[in-house]
Amino acid sequence: MAEVLLFGGLWVVLSGLAEYALHPMATHFYIFTASNTAVDGQKAAAFIFMVALPVFIFVVLMLIYAPIRFRAKRGETGDSKVQRKHSKAFVLAWFSVSLVVNVFMFVHPTASAVEGYFNSIPLGSKSTAPDGQQPLEVDVVARQWEWVYSIPEYGLTQTVNADGNDTLYLPVGREIKFVLRSYDQSHYYDPQAYVIHSFWIPAFGIKTDVIPGLTRYEYVTPTVISSTQQNQMVRVQCAEVCGPGHPWMETNLHIVSPADFASWVKAQQKLEASS
Amino acid sequence: MSTVPAFETPTGTNTGLSKGILAPMLRGVLWAAVGFLALNTLVTLVHPNVVHSFVTQVSATFGWIGALVGWMFAMGAWDAVIRPSFGFAANWTERATGWRKYFEYSTDHKVIGIQYLIFSLGGFLLAGLAAMFMRLQLMVDHMWFYQFPNAYLTTVGIHGTVMMFSFGTVIMVGGLGNYFIPMMIGSNKSAFPRLSGLSVWFLPFGYMTVIMSPLLGAWTTGWRGYQPLASQDGNGIIFYYLGVFAMLLSSLIVALNLTSTIIFNRAPGLRWSRLPMFAWGMLTVSILNIIWVPEILMTFILGLLAHIVPLPFFTAVGSPLTYLELFWLFGHPEVYIVVVPAFAMWQEIIPVMSRKSLFARQWGIMGLIFVMLLSGMVWAHHMFPTMQNKEILPFSFFTEMISIPTGFSYLAILGTLWNSKMRLNTPSILVLMSMFNFLIGGLTGLFLADPAVNFQIHDTFFVVGHFHYTIIGGMLFTFMAAMYYWLPKLSGRMYNDKWGMIGAVWVFLAFNATFIQFFIVGLRGMNRWVPVYPQYLQTMNFEISIFAFLLGAGFLYNVIYVIWVWNRGSVVNAENPWNGKTLEWYTASPTIGDNFKETPRVVGGFYDYGDDVPKHVVLEG
Repeated sequence: MAEVLLFGGLWVVLSGLAEYALHPMATHFYIFTASNTAVDGQKAAAFIFMVALPVFIFVVLMLIYAPIRFRAKRGETGDSKVQRKHSKAFVLAWFSVSLVVNVFMFVHPTASAVEGYFNSIPLGSKSTAPDGQQPLEVDVVARQWEWVYSIPEYGLTQTVNADGNDTLYLPVGREIKFVLRSYDQSHYYDPQAYVIHSFWIPAFGIKTDVIPGLTRYEYVTPTVISSTQQNQMVRVQCAEVCGPGHPWMETNLHIVSPADFASWVKAQQKLEASS
Repeated sequence: MSTVPAFETPTGTNTGLSKGILAPMLRGVLWAAVGFLALNTLVTLVHPNVVHSFVTQVSATFGWIGALVGWMFAMGAWDAVIRPSFGFAANWTERATGWRKYFEYSTDHKVIGIQYLIFSLGGFLLAGLAAMFMRLQLMVDHMWFYQFPNAYLTTVGIHGTVMMFSFGTVIMVGGLGNYFIPMMIGSNKSAFPRLSGLSVWFLPFGYMTVIMSPLLGAWTTGWRGYQPLASQDGNGIIFYYLGVFAMLLSSLIVALNLTSTIIFNRAPGLRWSRLPMFAWGMLTVSILNIIWVPEILMTFILGLLAHIVPLPFFTAVGSPLTYLELFWLFGHPEVYIVVVPAFAMWQEIIPVMSRKSLFARQWGIMGLIFVMLLSGMVWAHHMFPTMQNKEILPFSFFTEMISIPTGFSYLAILGTLWNSKMRLNTPSILVLMSMFNFLIGGLTGLFLADPAVNFQIHDTFFVVGHFHYTIIGGMLFTFMAAMYYWLPKLSGRMYNDKWGMIGAVWVFLAFNATFIQFFIVGLRGMNRWVPVYPQYLQTMNFEISIFAFLLGAGFLYNVIYVIWVWNRGSVVNAENPWNGKTLEWYTASPTIGDNFKETPRVVGGFYDYGDDVPKHVVLEG
């Protein structure tokens, strides 16, 4: 019994220390969060991290403690003096804890967080979305190997930067409705030209596969002004292998203030009118 | 029982194919070439061939079938199966000794087991080399080792495919299972020795097909061979479908044979309640194979037809997600096919090394069975970013629940360790290391099971880290433990524990240093399937590669050391150096010919320790 208490005490102390020491790691699991979805995901990840940590400490401590504490001394032979094949208390506790932890994790964060992800009004977005404003629709077309953005609200059909590369600006604080399609306007006659892509912005903490024949939606509210130049996590990246051009299927992304966004829209409109 | 011989007595005269001038495998390669040329030429002649090339996707498919028939006939099918089917005498001889018996047809389960070990190890080394090439490319953020991304992606595909289907799925089941299961249940032979003797030859044929696939053209899909992307791939994808088909056919036959052996060939007194844990592992994994392998074989046929006919099953005019659904329906049970033998092996080695009765044995068995059952209900978590909320939640639920039966293996081991008399040596340390690694693999799975977090880390190096922790960390470390545990049994020779321990610590440190960084680099934004990546990730990738090379060298060290001990190590003093209780320790080390001269009668449990435990096996004349 003293042995069990010693082990239990060690476990509690080490778990406490680990929870304290690794808390910064748990709360920065996403490295950089620039949207409400990333903040939600980060909260879920931190929760899982903090719950899983004592389990990790328990098993690892046991894997180290028991073999060393109960090792056979040099030259010692024969079987162990204690031959206990079952312990109602230990088995019952193990089973109950693993069941409760798993069910609990399913209810929170899984079931509760995922609700918000497919909802047009994401959880926690009240503070950032101005009242009564409709989401800004951004149509995204994925083809091999390019992301094409159009913003129907402002009549923009393909937004590009000064070099003619696809690029996307988003206003901070306004909800964005991404409409995602896998379609190739240059090869519309060839069904083999359409493959699965995945629309991923690392700083938004969310990716959605873009599937030929389906129109899919993703709702995100950017919360931080940033850009690919400032932080590489702020980029659009294809995450599902889509052929040899897959690693280059990325575009720069700029999250800007509403005023800067308006002037960018004007510049784009002027650019499209001139071409 | 003791009257059943270990292998069939040779019959007929030695004039058949098996007594030709060439060594059997060389002859097999020759007949494979003849078969390929014959059918390829025939199809090229009759096929309305618009490109006027000698090898087309259709002719290569038929040529491959010709090659398979030629190879299998030369490797024993002709002498042992076809001739007797038509009433002629079977016509082959089996050597009892010498290394040549491992490279020709045999019906002895021990020879077949070692054949599987040899060819599976060959697959491991080739696929490991592919991994080293990948890490070379990833040391720098732009193309340098490879000139074209296609070549890199083909290497990724070959690495994953050959590792999973010729090593992960095979070495503990086809290799250790074939060798030890008949011994552990007190039999001299397996249920279907002739079929089993053939099955092993599908394996090298299958992975050589995959490795030669670049000859027909690059393929970019990774180990999934997935449509609709595969519809654009070069003809190399045909050799992916066909090669994996052959490798899985081999595993399917092993599963049928082991299941029948465990059901029908048990020694007297070896009741289900006394079945060894490793046999439970082999039984559950074989049932998984029997359920899911036919499903993926069918899918590969659809994928093949979609490519060569072509039938638009999976393109935009078909159903683009269906192939992925079908693949992962098999793909998730597949990873448990890889790792369930490891759970069973922990429970085999730890009681022996800790001199203590296996704790909560019935929970350990239930763990294996419920993992087997639940593994077919979680596949869609591989596809969360393609799904809707209402579809995700049930799969997320089962994914989290499967950790409960998985935990029972930990429950049994940790309970056994407590108050034991632990012998810390290479096999037991490797089991503990494996449990540590698999724990990280399992706990990182909690993040992946949560949809919100999954949307961030899906398709990043976080996932790559997660499954390498479960498969290398869980299965490969346990396989190494099993090899060091059974080496005196397999070879009759004992290794030096110091040199074994160096090998164990080396791979443990290099493995963790490599793959723990996969999680971090994934969280920092490193996506999968890329030969080039943003510059800010280069420093970390560079050092990951350095540790990966150290890991590769560590595996090589262990392979070389085990082979050296097998041939040159010091002969064992005791037949049963660990004082193991399962029946394989009641045979000679190494066993040649019959396992048991006298029939063992089991009268007690294999996992009951203690000074007052009565003898559990009686040998009867």
